Amino acid sequence: MLEVANLTKEYPTPQGSLAILSDISLTLARGDAVSIMGPSGSGKSTLLYIVGALEPPSAGRVTLDNQNPFELKERELAAFRNRKIGFVFQDHCLLPQCSVLENVLTPTLVAEDDGNDAQARARALLEQVGLGERIAHRPAELSGGEKQRVALARALVMKPLLLLCDEPTGHLDHKSAEVVASLLFELHRQQETILIVVTHSSELAARFPTRYELHEQQLVKR
Amino acid sequence: MRTSALLKRNLIYFWRTNLAVIAGVAIAVAVLAGALLVGDSVRASLRDLFLQRLGSTSHVVSAQNFFREQLAYEMQADGRFAADGFGATCPLIVLEGSVTHEESGRRGMDVLVYGVDERFWKFHGSVGQPPSGREILISPSLAEELKAASNDALLLRVVKPSDISIESLHGRKDDAGRTLRLTLREALPASALGEFSIRPQQTSVRAVFVPLQLLQKDLEQEGKANTVLVSAKQSETKPDSLQKILKDKISLADMGVSLRALQEQGSLSLETESAVINDALAETAHATATEMGMRVAPVNSYLANSIRAGEREIPYSIVTAIDDERFAELRTAGEPTPLILNEWAANDLGAKTGDEVTLEYYLWQPDGSLKTQSAQFRLAGIVPIKGAAADRDLVPEYPGITQSESISDWDPPFPVDLSRIRKQDEDYWRDYRTTPKAFIPLSKGQELWGTRFGKLTSMRLIPPDVSQLQTALESFQTNLRAKLNPAEMNFVVYPARAEGIEASRGATNFGEYFLYFSFFLVVSALMLAALFFKLGVEQRLREIGTLQAIGFPASRIRTLFLAEGFLLSIIGSLLGLLGAVAYGKLMMHGLSTWWVGAVGTTMLRLHISPLSLIIGAAGGVLAALLCIMWTLRTLRRVSTRSLLHGGRQEGGRGEQGNREIGKPKRTRRFLRFPLFPFSPFSLFAPLGLIVIVLAALNIINQVAGFFGGGTLLLVALLCYEWAWLRRGSGGLIAGRGWWPVLRMGFRNATSRPARSVLCISLIASAAFIVVAVDAFRRHDKDIVSDKKSGSGGYALLGESDLPLVYDANTPAGREALNLNAGQDSGELAEVSYTRFRLRPGDDASCLNLYQPREPRMLAATEDFIESNRFAFQDSLKGASDTEKANPWLLLNREFADGAIPVIADANSMTYVLHKKLGEDFVLEQSGGAEPIRLRLVASLSDSLFQSELLMSAKNFLRLFPEIEGYSFFLIDAPASVQLAALSGHLEERLADFGFDAVSTSERIAEFHKVENTYLSTFQMLGGLGLALGTLGLAAVLLRNVLERRRELALLRAVGYGQKHFAAMVIAENAFLLFSGLIIGTACALLAIAPVWFARGGRLPIASLSLLLFVVAVSGLLASIAATMAAIRSPLLPSLRAE
Repeated sequence: MLEVANLTKEYPTPQGSLAILSDISLTLARGDAVSIMGPSGSGKSTLLYIVGALEPPSAGRVTLDNQNPFELKERELAAFRNRKIGFVFQDHCLLPQCSVLENVLTPTLVAEDDGNDAQARARALLEQVGLGERIAHRPAELSGGEKQRVALARALVMKPLLLLCDEPTGHLDHKSAEVVASLLFELHRQQETILIVVTHSSELAARFPTRYELHEQQLVKR
Repeated sequence: MRTSALLKRNLIYFWRTNLAVIAGVAIAVAVLAGALLVGDSVRASLRDLFLQRLGSTSHVVSAQNFFREQLAYEMQADGRFAADGFGATCPLIVLEGSVTHEESGRRGMDVLVYGVDERFWKFHGSVGQPPSGREILISPSLAEELKAASNDALLLRVVKPSDISIESLHGRKDDAGRTLRLTLREALPASALGEFSIRPQQTSVRAVFVPLQLLQKDLEQEGKANTVLVSAKQSETKPDSLQKILKDKISLADMGVSLRALQEQGSLSLETESAVINDALAETAHATATEMGMRVAPVNSYLANSIRAGEREIPYSIVTAIDDERFAELRTAGEPTPLILNEWAANDLGAKTGDEVTLEYYLWQPDGSLKTQSAQFRLAGIVPIKGAAADRDLVPEYPGITQSESISDWDPPFPVDLSRIRKQDEDYWRDYRTTPKAFIPLSKGQELWGTRFGKLTSMRLIPPDVSQLQTALESFQTNLRAKLNPAEMNFVVYPARAEGIEASRGATNFGEYFLYFSFFLVVSALMLAALFFKLGVEQRLREIGTLQAIGFPASRIRTLFLAEGFLLSIIGSLLGLLGAVAYGKLMMHGLSTWWVGAVGTTMLRLHISPLSLIIGAAGGVLAALLCIMWTLRTLRRVSTRSLLHGGRQEGGRGEQGNREIGKPKRTRRFLRFPLFPFSPFSLFAPLGLIVIVLAALNIINQVAGFFGGGTLLLVALLCYEWAWLRRGSGGLIAGRGWWPVLRMGFRNATSRPARSVLCISLIASAAFIVVAVDAFRRHDKDIVSDKKSGSGGYALLGESDLPLVYDANTPAGREALNLNAGQDSGELAEVSYTRFRLRPGDDASCLNLYQPREPRMLAATEDFIESNRFAFQDSLKGASDTEKANPWLLLNREFADGAIPVIADANSMTYVLHKKLGEDFVLEQSGGAEPIRLRLVASLSDSLFQSELLMSAKNFLRLFPEIEGYSFFLIDAPASVQLAALSGHLEERLADFGFDAVSTSERIAEFHKVENTYLSTFQMLGGLGLALGTLGLAAVLLRNVLERRRELALLRAVGYGQKHFAAMVIAENAFLLFSGLIIGTACALLAIAPVWFARGGRLPIASLSLLLFVVAVSGLLASIAATMAAIRSPLLPSLRAE
């Protein structure tokens, strides 16, 4: 379960503190999928990064699987993210020097226990995203949509509890976006993750059973 | 996939950046290891040079006097000789002299003269053909200097050995040297030992080889030598073994001691060839005789010019001082010392007991003059000329006197008025010869006539059984020989090879010096390596963010990058080792050519030392790793989110990452506004100005003040630059044409203020150092009459190969030295000479690369000490006010521990002897004698005394009594005297003494040349480092361009062309480059202002401008190349998201 309670985030500026998120609360269980929309600069990505333990809140609490990641030491936090959270970024962030398979296997390199079947899982995921024949290729040889599919496989190789996606289809054409979105939902269903997607795309957002909007620092359910 | 696989992928994929890192590390290692190789090479070259010149010699036995050649073979035949590791011996004659090419008159001074035969080359295992007849062989450099060819006539002038000291009454002063006319056969190459030298020296050797027998005959030393070379069969020989063998084999005759049996007197007479028994010999002989039950009667005989009583006098009589016991009963308190006359003298004088008797005699003064002294006595007795009173053997052999048939045949080395000789005097001489006419107590005789050489002329030894005189003589001979220490009889045994190898380690640590010289090269190279590594990291920020996001701990990421950095460093260092050999070779070439002024030899070669390579490589890798670790450290402060977005943002707006929230506005303001109170600029600038004003007003030391002030202003200006860049200030960029485009370029420097200030700081610091170091350059002055300068106000400096005993400051001395002929004697009378006794030794200045073990020593007379000339840098703490006013007075200090005070030049003290004031330089002595501790009590400033140490004449004569005459001169001349003419006149008149005169400014210039060469080397290598630093600037620039590709792409889209981009980028680079150069150079010029004014505004503008011009051009060219590479790549695709 993911619990967000009274989350607040502020940034200091020369003109004073700038509030981005204010007293946000959210509870999600395994298998839940939510989308978060909002205008640019509304703090959607900020909320995602806080929930993904990449950035601390100014106030409030986040717990995942009964663990507040911000209470952990740096090493434990890294291990927590490695085991529990998967990320898909708008810019895919693949390592250009590694092959497709290697990119997917990257999180397993630092896993405390990958169960000795990391490679098999990676290959299977790549098959599922339709890149089973491209495992030896480099990111430079893939299209945008293909790269994002690799990023998705990478995000799921550790079987995370929480899957966070920041504009996963933002840089893709309609067809590719459709493919990626479908894969996203399919894999989410299979692995029963908690899925949170931040998106501008109302079409993508519409596919979610639960939709939120960030408006004036508040998370409003739509 | 394992982490190692990721590591491998990273290394290969980012090969361009990695190559640059490798190059940076390679350069740093090449320079570091190369500098160490220079040090090794200089040391090894000095060692090789010394060993090549030394041949097979391992040890040397040498003496002040000549001894039997046979002694060498007796030592070799001793069973211990081979058993203790020695190989063979070779006797020869070694002297110093001068050579003149007869036809041209060209002269070579400070020439090593070797009297040798075929044994010399056999000893060294060489196939050389010895000189024969009247042939002479010379070293190649001497042949070059004299421009001599085979069959040319050469005149060789050497010191004529004299058993009797020339500084004693009977010493032959006018016959101090011998000239041999010889025919040059050939110049002997170094491979045939043509440069044979026992002492290490890096300059070329002036040596001559003459037939041993010819030299022996000419010097009246047939069958004798003064040096024995000893070779070793193995590298380790038994210590002290040679000294023991020598002690066992040496005869009394070898040590100049003679013993004869006087049957008539029933005693033995112990005498020496020098006619004086030194204290050590007297003590040992006395002890030996006493042990054998002999009675000892010491004797001191002297020649009195007159014995006078009343109106009568007897000329030129022997007076003998004998043991005091015989006068014990004759002494009366309050009365003059008793004296006994023989009957003949008493009758001639008409003297009776109780009369006053006056003795008049010559005494040789230390200043080289002969003075008549007198002493009064009371006639206490008259003895008949029989028995002990008829002993004519109480006087040693005096050449020119004792063997003469008549007094009128005398040929003494002092003036004798033969008109005073009467018939009765000749009759006495005929009948009694050297029988003394008067006797005085020994203590009185020693008081009147004792010298530093000794206080006895002979010792009478009376055995218990006078009938066994011959047996007693033989026993005494054996026992005395066993007890005598050859070292106390002026024999020296030393391990020439071991000492020379030790000296080869060098006084100057070239490895260390070249590390300093190459400092900026190393720093620039490391900076390049770190910079490119940093750029590589910055290129991969998003990757780092991704790794963090997927669970890589920060430490793991750092380890990954560190591992990459380590591997790159290793590869770089391996390549650097190859570069080190090349760099070392280049530096050695430089030392033999452009910088030969610093070393004085072209014989230095590269020697590769594995240890230095390892140290250099390890040092380079370590330094590179530290730089890389520092680079990675900064990533800690960047949030994962920032990394995912491709980098952190500076300037404090927007993204904060993990930074503190709510910093006080005042803190930020003082960093951003240069003139804000308490800003760094506001603190450093006024401080710098205050220091400069204080220095200008001479309230604080000028050089330190201006340097310190210049440095503070440098820091202030850099702080100002930083604050200005952080503000991103500048007016509105508007308008048309190139100027607004260039202003855009300048504005771009503010986008990464820290990066820009780093580049400016590096260039400014390097420029500051390279320019400011010029302040330390020594400038040669013309003749300076200032007595408080480094020349002491003296015009000329002279040295002679043969000692001069006559005082050229007196008319008689000038007459004796033949200085008056051919010159205006009136003018010459105004020339004054300050004379110094000189103990030859190792040059203690920077001209000598070898570590001096026995520095040259000069004796400072009291007059010189009182004159208080020369500038001092410092003197001993605790000096009295008088001593502070005249530090020369410290030479008269007496230390409780027996240390001898000496004064040295500050440069020699610090850089050659590696000592500080108050520390001791230990002079080792051979033969087990106590070492002499020389305590440094004051240091001279940039003086002409850099090659020697100075001690008081009193201490000098006590420690080195064997040094006769004066060989070092400082000459004052009135302004009207043409120095070149005076110098030529002195050299011509004193050619027989091997006299050489140079101007004092020329001597000091020789030392300056070495220092200035080091500075030039530093500036050259520093400039190279600066140029390399500009490559770093280009790398920064390239990175800036790559980061702004999207901006540039946008400008392209709105109509900017490649020329506009080039102009912007070059403008940004020029801003950084010239900011650094201007700030650094301006502050440096300010720092060296006092020196600049002191030189009358002279600065090496040309060389400095060239240096800075080269740096500027290389920087600009590098940036143009980098810019072109960046701009040529397609920009428009950057506008797309992917």
